[in-house]
Amino acid sequence: MRHRTGATLALAVSLAWSGAASTSVAQAQTSSMFSNQANPAIGMNALFSGQAAHNLKQPYGLHFDEAEISLIAVVDPYWTFVSNIVFVGDGSVDPEEVWVRSTNIPGIQLKLGKIRGTFGKHGLLHTHAFPFIQAPIVMANTIGNEGFKDAGVEAAWLTPLPWFSELTGGVYQGIAADGDHPLDFGSTKHDNVPYLGHFKNQFDLNDATTLELGQSFLQGRGIDGNRHAAFGADVTIRNVPAKNSNRRGWILQGEYIQKGASGGGTFTREQDGGYASFQYRLSQVWWVGARGEQARRSFTDFLVDGAGDEIPGKINRASANIAWMPSEFSFVRLEYSHAQADAGGGIKPNDDRIMIQMSYTIGYHPAHAY
Amino acid sequence: MKSPIRCISLLMLGLLAAAPAYADLKVATSLTDLASVAQLVGGKHVSAQSLSRGFEDPHFVPAKPSLMKAIQHADVFVSVGLELDAGWLPLVLPGSRNPRIQPGAKGFVDASEGVAVLEKPVGTVSRAEGDIHPFGNPHYYADPKNLEVVADHLAEVFSRLDPANAADYAANAKAFDGKMETSLAKWEQQMAPFKGAPVVTYHKNFVYFADRFGLKLFGNVEPKPGIPPTPRHIAELAEAMKKAGAKVVLYQPYYSADASRQLASKADGVAVCIATEAGGLPGTDDVFSKFDSLVSLVAGALSGKSGGAR
Repeated sequence: MRHRTGATLALAVSLAWSGAASTSVAQAQTSSMFSNQANPAIGMNALFSGQAAHNLKQPYGLHFDEAEISLIAVVDPYWTFVSNIVFVGDGSVDPEEVWVRSTNIPGIQLKLGKIRGTFGKHGLLHTHAFPFIQAPIVMANTIGNEGFKDAGVEAAWLTPLPWFSELTGGVYQGIAADGDHPLDFGSTKHDNVPYLGHFKNQFDLNDATTLELGQSFLQGRGIDGNRHAAFGADVTIRNVPAKNSNRRGWILQGEYIQKGASGGGTFTREQDGGYASFQYRLSQVWWVGARGEQARRSFTDFLVDGAGDEIPGKINRASANIAWMPSEFSFVRLEYSHAQADAGGGIKPNDDRIMIQMSYTIGYHPAHAY
Repeated sequence: MKSPIRCISLLMLGLLAAAPAYADLKVATSLTDLASVAQLVGGKHVSAQSLSRGFEDPHFVPAKPSLMKAIQHADVFVSVGLELDAGWLPLVLPGSRNPRIQPGAKGFVDASEGVAVLEKPVGTVSRAEGDIHPFGNPHYYADPKNLEVVADHLAEVFSRLDPANAADYAANAKAFDGKMETSLAKWEQQMAPFKGAPVVTYHKNFVYFADRFGLKLFGNVEPKPGIPPTPRHIAELAEAMKKAGAKVVLYQPYYSADASRQLASKADGVAVCIATEAGGLPGTDDVFSKFDSLVSLVAGALSGKSGGAR
């Protein structure tokens, strides 16, 4: 999904600092000793959903998923500040992203703060930008349902190769595994500095079609003293016809992620899986999509034992959806998924569910990455 | 063993030596018209390229990483301004990792500076009116006079960044303005018979042209900016066009030809595909040939002698 929301960011925000601002600030200060001319660009997105899943012990009905408030502004001539604070439906608040970016270093983009680690493709997306309502099952079992989110520093180097070739390196705070972070980076030893590497190459196949290839690696030391790591590879072919850039196009994408640990000199693969998806834009307002995925040794909500506790197994799932986007600032989408799981021991549940999701955005919202 | 600092210094020197040397100012723009003006003002000292193409909707240019790569070494970036390119430039500019062309840097130019902006919203700005531009209508490049403002502005910028060739930039801008004035006189003559003639456009991107040549904007194929046309809107507009005798529907190559033709057909008029951005149609490679084509197509359609599908 692409939002081109009344974007002021780098342009208006920065322009406000360059020249024009001096007059307007002066004018504003004639009526008040406090100026609001340099306030950040503010936006909010709200997500609501409903789910009918007959084998989950959940009531049907409309849920409030989250409201994400974003504040973006130029700090000074050296830094731009970006934040996304998420108010979750359960009442908690997640400072999902709070970081600053410098573009003063030729060839390198530096990000520091609470960031979304540059790992893979799906893991870079905000919830309202997921192509399907449900994230692939492999995400929650490897780097996190919404990607790897941690405090750290990342530098992304645009290499001198003649095509877009970006090499990103990052180091992060050691952080224990929890519901959002399946990877155990919780060692308290001083040498525990989780680090990431990401290599992205993008080629223009023709006027309208691009090919993107990505490889990702993330590693840190766990509470158990072992090294825990995730590897990822992704490929995306995207078509946006030049004369129909706002009405037509398609995205074919595949991604594989593996999580594992090494101890005593051997590497053990834990969860892994991937997905292949196809999204097609029928018109300015209609999108359809289909996705097939598999996750192995993985957990999901409908794969449970007799006591109702989630157990690991192999899960295959197929999803299809249709989205209606009457403007760039709202959408409604309907999604159906069918899944089959096998946990061994004769536990082979199936799952069918229908979901609906509504997204609404107000104020400034930064454009989503290509 | 060599010291690490010495090794790094040698590496840096090697990288610098490997970097290609360019004599020209490398100029990138968000719009073909701006690249055309930049090239004419810069002459032999400048190489200008546009990130969007003339047949591409300037609101919705895909922010492909290859665009970031294309401007990695640019000396100047010329934005249309007024938020026309705000849907993609905030990704492309920082993604270039080129400090010289970031907003606030000497190499960043907002081409709308100095232009008399039309349709500045009065009072509260609300998206109930569609995807409006809160700083005013950004399609100022559809008025030849405004490109003279851009040319003079770019000559100043180029002179600041490349003082050695300042005289050439000033002379080129003067020549550009002169040629534009002569051409404008010709275009005004062509358009003179159609003062007050009503036209319908797909999007609200024709106000500057209409203002310059005295056309009356009768309505838009879109019910509101950025909102796709509905059958009801088309039917109502067609009815209104018939009553008012409005017969010409103008649309750009990147808008729906079907909706425009449907409207024209219902209104017993014509739908004409026009280029408001250089390169939008064959034979519109620079801003002068763009206006030659634009004026000729609009005048042709209004005279009923030529024009698109009925």
